[in-house]
Amino acid sequence: MTTATRTRRTITSIGSRTLETVAAVAELGSVAAQTLAGAVFGYWRGKRPAGGIARQMYFVGNRSLLFVLVTLGFVGMVMVYQTCLLTTKVVDGRNQVGAQWIRLLVLDVGPSLTAMMLATRVGAGIAAEIGSMKVTEQLDALRMSGVTPVRYLIVPRFLACVFMTVVLSMFGIAASWAAGGLTGYYSFQINPRIFFDVSMVEPAHVVVGLIKAATFGAAIPIVSGFCGLRARGSSEGVGAATTSAVIGSSFAVIVLDLVISFVAMTAFGAG
Amino acid sequence: MLNATAQGLAIELVGVGKRFGSRTVLGGVDLRIARGARLGVIGPATGGKSVLLKIIAGLYRPEAGLVRVAGRIGMLFQNCALFDFLSVADNVAFPLVQEGGVPAAEIEPRVAARLRAVGLAGSERKLPSELSGGMKKRVGLARATVATPDVVLYDEPTAGLDPVTTAKIYGLLRADHDARGSTAVVVSSDVDAVAAFADTIAFVDGGGVRWIGPAAGLRDADDARVRDFARGTP
Amino acid sequence: MSPSTPAAAPAGAIRGSIAAIGTATLGAARDAGGIVVLAAEVLRSLFPHFDSVEDRGSSTDPAQSPVRSVRSRSLRLRWPSIDGRELVRNLYKMGWRSLPIVTMTALFVGGLMVIQFASFVQQYGARGLVGWGTGYAVLREVGPLMIGLMFSGRVGANNAAELGTMTVTEQIDGLQALAIDPIRYLIVPRVLAMMITLAVMTMVGDAVAILGVMLSSQLILDIHPLTVWYSLVQNIGVGDFLHGMGKSLVFGAAIALSSCYFGLTVKGGAIGVGKAVNAAVVSAAVSICFLDFLMTYLTA
Repeated sequence: MTTATRTRRTITSIGSRTLETVAAVAELGSVAAQTLAGAVFGYWRGKRPAGGIARQMYFVGNRSLLFVLVTLGFVGMVMVYQTCLLTTKVVDGRNQVGAQWIRLLVLDVGPSLTAMMLATRVGAGIAAEIGSMKVTEQLDALRMSGVTPVRYLIVPRFLACVFMTVVLSMFGIAASWAAGGLTGYYSFQINPRIFFDVSMVEPAHVVVGLIKAATFGAAIPIVSGFCGLRARGSSEGVGAATTSAVIGSSFAVIVLDLVISFVAMTAFGAG
Repeated sequence: MLNATAQGLAIELVGVGKRFGSRTVLGGVDLRIARGARLGVIGPATGGKSVLLKIIAGLYRPEAGLVRVAGRIGMLFQNCALFDFLSVADNVAFPLVQEGGVPAAEIEPRVAARLRAVGLAGSERKLPSELSGGMKKRVGLARATVATPDVVLYDEPTAGLDPVTTAKIYGLLRADHDARGSTAVVVSSDVDAVAAFADTIAFVDGGGVRWIGPAAGLRDADDARVRDFARGTP
Repeated sequence: MSPSTPAAAPAGAIRGSIAAIGTATLGAARDAGGIVVLAAEVLRSLFPHFDSVEDRGSSTDPAQSPVRSVRSRSLRLRWPSIDGRELVRNLYKMGWRSLPIVTMTALFVGGLMVIQFASFVQQYGARGLVGWGTGYAVLREVGPLMIGLMFSGRVGANNAAELGTMTVTEQIDGLQALAIDPIRYLIVPRVLAMMITLAVMTMVGDAVAILGVMLSSQLILDIHPLTVWYSLVQNIGVGDFLHGMGKSLVFGAAIALSSCYFGLTVKGGAIGVGKAVNAAVVSAAVSICFLDFLMTYLTA
């Protein structure tokens, strides 16, 4: 192969990959727009999808509760443990650990880690489900009856996921705080009355935390649903869709976390 | 896509072309199917016959040409595409519920009648995962025809079924089309079975309709490729 | 039309939910057991061990199966052997695949940490502590945890999908029919490759995250990157770095074993593969959080 043809082939492949990326981003945007439009205008009008919102809430919420409690609980123990180790070395800040931890939990760690966990649990589930429907032509069957997959499948998951991410974040924060308090008490003899101190949490922190949770909850079903809709082939396609849903929605959570944190910090100093 | 078609045509395709990326799947397909006709579509696996069916169904948008279909369309998918989160009855009711125009009180009796017609009365509460391949096909059949479509499209209706079940499925198809006079398009790899059901056969290969003629004369077609394909000559 | 299910009697509902909890517990116990067994098999093949080998001999006893020759079993010592080419192939593939997401994640996490640290700086004027505080958190905790989670989503999920597809398309059975041990040939190289790759990725991620911290403290807090750097190197020891590295090796093993286990036990075609990926990433996340706690507690 001559250098010229090789160069040409490289350029062609870069070009087609760029085009594919642009098309994918456009498609993601269209899924997001359709979902938001469906959630705001279309959900209560017309026929209710059989895979109704209550069922989705059950799937997103109840089936993930234990998972969120366990993971956030362990993270709470670890973070408090590590922070206490740090404070023994230098400053006598051990009494501050609890108050700082709940502040950080409400402001950032609670919503973002809960959403990361839901991105794996719920995101993978949504992509696997919709991806399997795609490769078994069930989405075509929906369209034959004039039903758009986004509205019928993604919108209920979207509404359930936004609501449940907020609720589960609260549970996660509670679990993480409680587990941290226990660690502080048993390993570092921090008085629970001192540890469980909410004086550092301001209303603005709660608002930022809620906004984060709702935004992450919105991003997960959109990204994962998009990945499911793009599934091709058979088992390989569904596997690939599920994989990209997990990584895509996790990454979306991190990016949105940074964006919201930065905006919140510059807007009212409550990163 | 327009619903009005002149001169008793159920389906009319004029110069239809379809591409996926840089690959041309169909190029300049012309096809006219009369009302009440039964067309069988055969051809090699990659020849584009499934794509043709999905274009008629409106699931793919062609890049070129015109597609006209008169009236409602029903479709039986290759692997039935039953909604696995809905019961048999809800699957069959789905087109009636979603397409609208049917009073809620009428839905249940119509679903029950359809399920009786395909011999599945009593399986209403079952989920698709509890059904055998042949039963799934029959549920898919009931769902495809419950909204009394004028045109019914079948994608490999008997793939993976034994000869007895195949005969039963075609029996159901025949009964339904005899009763309502609706148009049928059947894509199938089972040449003998489809030739027995259809009145006209189209041979699709290389992105176009290569031959079209009466089903009875398929094995003695004037085109060698069609003859070989129908007789199974390699 | 969605017919409403008749309201189940409360007693039945309670019994049903207890049964559901029981089934879920049994399932979780079976999966955890399966992962441990897989871990034992992988460990065994990394050390000299005895294997039961079939010896083919000719049958003289007509009562024996007339079709197959008689087989007796004997033990044979096997030395550990790793398919080096498969290992290198996996290392390359996994490293290449996870590098972009790891660097992006690490960069953003670095920025996030500075934003969260900013209020301390504003409250206590602790400008000199930024490097120390964030470096401590990145190296010991946030780095291994976040990169582990992302690695699980990228490589672990992909591995489960790949093995799952091989299982549903009967490729694993094909290997066994050729008398190739899937554990040795497929699983061991993947487990080793994931452990090594995650450790390397954590190093890369730590470095990028610290870079992100330095960059964003300049941008957000107007603290010179060198100030951050000195604060970091003066207060952070090799111990902190090794603490995180140890975690990443353990996380890598957990991700690898759970993704291999769920990939190999797929049932039911395309839907099954999706479910397996789901199960693999969920169990990896739980294991990571639990092992994180255990490692912190034990090595502190």
